[in-house]
Amino acid sequence: MTAMLSRPRRRGVRATLLVLPAVIPVAIVVIGGIGTTVVQSLGLMPLVGTPALSVKTFEGTDDLLSSALLSLGIAVVSTAIAAVVGFFTAVLIISGNWGGRIVGALSAAAVTVPHLVGAASVGLLLSDSGVLARIFGIPPESWPALVAGPTWFAVIAEYAWKESAFIALIIVGTLATRITSYDETAAVLGAHRGARLRFVVLPLAAPSLLVASTIAFAYTLGSYEVAWLLGKTYPEPLSVMALRLFNSASLTARPEAAAVAVITLLLTAAVVVLAMLGLRRMRAWQ
Amino acid sequence: MTVTTTSVDLDTARSNQQQRRMPGDHGRPLTQSRGLARALRILSTALIALWFALPFLPLVLWSFADQWMHPAAFPMETGTDGLTAAIANGGGRAFLHSLALSLVVAAIATPLGAMAARALSRGQVRFGKAITVLLFSPVMLPPFAAVLGLNVLLLRAWVPPVVGVVLVLVAVAIPYTTFSMRAAYAAYDDGFDEAARTLGASSRLTLWRIHLPLIAPALARSAFLAFLVGWSDYLITLVVGGGHLVTLPLIIASSASGVGNESSVAVLSLSAVIPPLILLGLIARSRNLDPGRQR
Amino acid sequence: MPIRNPFRPQHSTTARRRILPVLATAALTVLALSACSAPTTTPRGPEFFDWADVQVAADGQTVKLWMWGGDDQGNAYVDDVLAPAAAAQGVTLERVPIADTKDALNRVFTELQAGRNTDGAVDLVWINGDNFRTGKQADAWFCEWTDLLPNMTAVSATDPLLTEDFGTPVDGCEAPWHKAQFSFVYNSATVPDPPTTIEGILEWAEANPGRFTYPAAPDFTGSAFLRSVLYSESGGYENVPSTFSDEAFDELSPALFDRLDALAPSLWREGSTYPATSEQLTKLFADGEIDMMMTYGPATLTALVENGTLPDTTRVLTVDDGTLGNASFFGIPSNSGNIAGAMVVANEALSVEQQVAKADPAVWGQFTVLDLDALSADDRALFDALPQSPVVPSFDILSQNANPELSAEWVPALDDAWRTRIAAR
Repeated sequence: MTAMLSRPRRRGVRATLLVLPAVIPVAIVVIGGIGTTVVQSLGLMPLVGTPALSVKTFEGTDDLLSSALLSLGIAVVSTAIAAVVGFFTAVLIISGNWGGRIVGALSAAAVTVPHLVGAASVGLLLSDSGVLARIFGIPPESWPALVAGPTWFAVIAEYAWKESAFIALIIVGTLATRITSYDETAAVLGAHRGARLRFVVLPLAAPSLLVASTIAFAYTLGSYEVAWLLGKTYPEPLSVMALRLFNSASLTARPEAAAVAVITLLLTAAVVVLAMLGLRRMRAWQ
Repeated sequence: MTVTTTSVDLDTARSNQQQRRMPGDHGRPLTQSRGLARALRILSTALIALWFALPFLPLVLWSFADQWMHPAAFPMETGTDGLTAAIANGGGRAFLHSLALSLVVAAIATPLGAMAARALSRGQVRFGKAITVLLFSPVMLPPFAAVLGLNVLLLRAWVPPVVGVVLVLVAVAIPYTTFSMRAAYAAYDDGFDEAARTLGASSRLTLWRIHLPLIAPALARSAFLAFLVGWSDYLITLVVGGGHLVTLPLIIASSASGVGNESSVAVLSLSAVIPPLILLGLIARSRNLDPGRQR
Repeated sequence: MPIRNPFRPQHSTTARRRILPVLATAALTVLALSACSAPTTTPRGPEFFDWADVQVAADGQTVKLWMWGGDDQGNAYVDDVLAPAAAAQGVTLERVPIADTKDALNRVFTELQAGRNTDGAVDLVWINGDNFRTGKQADAWFCEWTDLLPNMTAVSATDPLLTEDFGTPVDGCEAPWHKAQFSFVYNSATVPDPPTTIEGILEWAEANPGRFTYPAAPDFTGSAFLRSVLYSESGGYENVPSTFSDEAFDELSPALFDRLDALAPSLWREGSTYPATSEQLTKLFADGEIDMMMTYGPATLTALVENGTLPDTTRVLTVDDGTLGNASFFGIPSNSGNIAGAMVVANEALSVEQQVAKADPAVWGQFTVLDLDALSADDRALFDALPQSPVVPSFDILSQNANPELSAEWVPALDDAWRTRIAAR
């Protein structure tokens, strides 16, 4: 082979070496995690007894459909709110005036709060006898059922709150260096505010908005603490169901829990694939 | 042609200099709003600030509340009972554990993400798309899948618990660091590196003196995201760590599962907000040193 | 099992191509590894001839005690009273705070599933009831060790509360720690004339809509409430066979669920939702949203009243039909690497000094498991000298007509039926 041909190959080897350290831990965790979960859901790794292949766990779990719909509903609504709020927050932060700095600091503080703490805090804020009800002097009977109520208000509010801060952080991070010059050019050319937002900021922010929203959506589907602490007893989201089955007193419930986890995974994967397809159509990503 | 100069004094010159804005600076007069738009803007800023601030209200109020019974609008007795209980429950040690874990996760996941992003953004990696998808995939792995399956695998492979926690958290953090670094490399100009090499700099020197300083702000941002993954994780630390790593979220969760612990939970929670905010402040400072920006 | 060799020579000209085969191999290996069932040899743990043997082995060991961390008094007792006593015997006691005892059990199961039989992360667990039974089914406990403990002599060998744990024979697989009595709690300011039977409580709830609720099963307390009402609806615990059978369940449970179904509209939020945990229930009571609640841990009430979490008009209700009683224990997982150290801690926890300290309402207020009648006069005097709680009556009064717990098989059966019949109403 000629030297001309070996150069790109060497560069390929170098590129592979650069990618490999990230690929290895991710592959172990993702393939291992999904693999063992699938294996357990098929009854091949029982806690007691002999392994036997079976798909019974996928049929035997009650209320699967209503739980899946509920999970999706919560994730869609909270992610939609988070995307809108997160986008406008990012626009404010990038504007760089004093208001943007305050919003920037507050949203950054919100990003750092673990969801568990967020849930506890939103619970203290919104419950029948919570901080807001106390400050406004509204008795528990007259306070709307925001926590553990039929609307899942507190759960959605917590996810929307945390994830809007996350989405804003990601958008600001990827846009801060590029946006202002475009924005100014558009302003020089006479574009008014609405048009600049619509035709300059939004298209530039779209890829990171989409990626951040997808991450938020996947997280919302997969996490259980918030819905468990602030949600209603019945019906329950998939993640809460999986954890309840996993913690169940009967040893046979573990495969069922794994089956619920596999269904959650498939749902999440479907949404992520859709988002990836959407991303490829965006010009700003290229 | 004659040029007449009016009196120029030093102070106005200084203030003009301060007001001079360079391309790329934030909030230039051209894009600032006026009149009704300005009022709307202030209103929306206030609303968004309220949206982010409101959930902190119970934490702030409760952390100083020694006694706060319903329906009193504000704490009846204030003091440091919450702080005392938080420390008695091992809050201090947990804080250090959390800090160490998050720093280690950030220190590993950031360079890995940066290297992968560099290779992928140049399009030299075979199966680049598949690898992009793989590196993004941990975000769709629900944490309880790790509880169910992964831990069996790690235990069977005799991975020490603390190493296991770091491994899993690094994998969870890599999507964030890779994505964030890819966005940075998309805007990166290879010309700087090439110029340095042309001028005779070794590749190591180019990396340390040209490349890394240029991507430093993006690296800091990625590190911050990776730090947060370690900082806020509960389930993986609990299950994979097997009690070897008692971090702040573990203490918070076990305290929050009891009755009457609101004030100590609030103190622990507020203390959990401080280190990431300090980090963020440092990042904001480092951005000002960014040679890519002219301020 | 045939596993592809990841190191076989590659004929491809670029290293890039190697990634996918390696990945595929890794995946296959993972699947192969996990498809094998857990090793069938169950660990038995070490063998000890006498207590001196245990003490020698325990010296220098570090014992990780996994216990629910939501009770500040309990945490402080273990850290400040029990741990120093263990340290004096050469054992370092470390508390691992958890939000749910199941976390500890699941950790042990996962380790056993992975074949890690000698170096488990859990050395000691605070446990009872269905968690104990589940562990026993999975062969997860180190057994036949409690006879070796010198302090077990002060525990009655025939006390049914200590020989059976929710109908599961203890068989020396766990050492008793303290006793508990299921208790109803009311606010004497808003309920001046409290009912005296369980049926009376339900009727009171119907007469005062929205002022009563109970935690959703499978919460420990909520599930105990189901069993209490089952006893009451069946005309007393004598009428409910302790061992579980489908026939008994089909015969007795309809009355329970019909009653709870009828009760639901009168509950907090019209029974459309239930508190997820007994802590959420206590919070509702603390905030005055309900006037009556229940707990399986009356020990903590005194401190909660004292620190102002609960109103000082909080009182424990003694009911004529009696309430469920149980004991909680220390279990040692069979795969613990520090079994001897764990035994030393369990023995120390049973000493008169520790049991007296723990029974003080100012420390923790947990009822002792020691047989008070068999103690020496001096030791007995220590217990008699304990201050009386203004909120919680003494154990003698509280445990009058105590009902035995049903066998643990009843628990999931009732919990599951409650979810489909009542929660899904």
